[in-house]
Amino acid sequence: MTVRLYHWEPNANSGKPMLTLAEKGVKYESHYLDLLKFDQHQPEYLKVNPDGTIPAMVHGSHVLTESTPMMEYVDDEFLGPPLKPTDTKERWRMRWWMRFFDSYFAPSLSMIGWAVFVGPAARQRPREELEAAIARIPLESRRIAWRKAMFNEFSTEELDESRRRVRFCTGILEGHLARHEWIAGATFSLGDINGFNLGYALPLSQPDHCNDAKTPHIMEWLRRIYERPAAKETWKHGRTAMAERVKFLERGHHA
Amino acid sequence: MLELYTSEPNTFFLKPLIALHEKQAKFESRWIDTEKFEQFALSPASDAEAHLHLEREGPLLRHDGILISNSFFMIEYIAETLPGPGLLPEASFDKYRAHASGQFLGAHLGALVPILSCVKYLAPRLAAMDRAKVDATLNSVEPVERRYGWRALLDGTYTPQILATARERLKLPVQRVEATLGAGAWLAGPNYSIADIDAFAMLRVIPDLAPEVVNARETPRITEYLARIEARPAVKAALATTRSGKPAESFVPGVEPSRWG
Repeated sequence: MTVRLYHWEPNANSGKPMLTLAEKGVKYESHYLDLLKFDQHQPEYLKVNPDGTIPAMVHGSHVLTESTPMMEYVDDEFLGPPLKPTDTKERWRMRWWMRFFDSYFAPSLSMIGWAVFVGPAARQRPREELEAAIARIPLESRRIAWRKAMFNEFSTEELDESRRRVRFCTGILEGHLARHEWIAGATFSLGDINGFNLGYALPLSQPDHCNDAKTPHIMEWLRRIYERPAAKETWKHGRTAMAERVKFLERGHHA
Repeated sequence: MLELYTSEPNTFFLKPLIALHEKQAKFESRWIDTEKFEQFALSPASDAEAHLHLEREGPLLRHDGILISNSFFMIEYIAETLPGPGLLPEASFDKYRAHASGQFLGAHLGALVPILSCVKYLAPRLAAMDRAKVDATLNSVEPVERRYGWRALLDGTYTPQILATARERLKLPVQRVEATLGAGAWLAGPNYSIADIDAFAMLRVIPDLAPEVVNARETPRITEYLARIEARPAVKAALATTRSGKPAESFVPGVEPSRWG
């Protein structure tokens, strides 16, 4: 039974199922959607996922639209190396950190990313075109988020708070990886796949806070994941400069 | 050794109580009075997971020296670890549905229910306390987001407009649950599971907080579903742990609403 995956760049939410499928050795039919051209809000895709969010995975009659639960499905459903610890305390820790990444760290990091990099690029297009595109977004919460991102409606306080949280989370993650080899503990897991998609570009976007001197454990953890064949294979799916950032993790790389 | 740091059996605190009673597990109950802020002493900064979990106030489960936090992952841990009746969906896709439900309701109901309920029940009780003493306690609470959750209730942050928006936003998760129950009796597959325990604990207070959103006419399936779960012996046993006799009037600040709007 074919797996169809609708995704953008190997990055953040899209990268989570891509890297999980690659780690499991599952071949999939790749459907690349350009997030910045609003491909995910086109009628064709809304037939797959009426919420208009990416990624989405179709497996037989099942449609999956939440990226972190999707990773667990891939691990449960397919043969290949297990990506959840057998110890239930480690499994709980894996899930705890994935929630922390998804709901606390990632929203702050993405707010900075949108304000500094993605939003300005998107605003090259006419305002009316962007307004029309936002009006097509099915979910109210996503319309609000896209409006903020597209028209840079973040206040200084919001951006300062996001920067504070990113620094704080980076410190917490460094402390965690100083105590544990992997996110869950002793076992490489979905937690690391999730964290890598969130953090692979941290050394580039936060060079003053995430580097070999200040966060050696994060740097080593990112490099170890980058060196896995599945990560190399997954990041080849990238079509923009965004995915190129992963090469910063080559050992001996000097920016 | 299994110890549950618990309080009035409602919302977040209710979930592990139900799961443990469903499992007929032996556990030590450690009562915390959240309005005396006893929970703040339980989650030291040295334990990142207990200190930084996003529901902030509790519950916590201590098992073999490890503090388990986050009420959904806690009941999943109970389901995966303890012997007794199965509470996990079996099929991979049903497990996905349970995880997706826990995530979606955790973000929506986990943020909206505490705002509406704390304004109604907790804020008046906080206002009657000595403000200087409350401030002194809150000033030392870390992380700061946890402090802000309590301060918002004291400072009148939740305007009528914010509360009206919160009630309006309840409709999306409630309608999704109502639709899911149209396709089957339980939220994640053919059997009662952790997804139902999770949803029940948050949904059961909405008829009081936003009666226009959950009621027998608008949401007949949810109304029947809540009654069906409430009749389970484990749920009755969990609710019977109340000390106030009014567990559905005890609330704590919950998950932070999305900062993206």
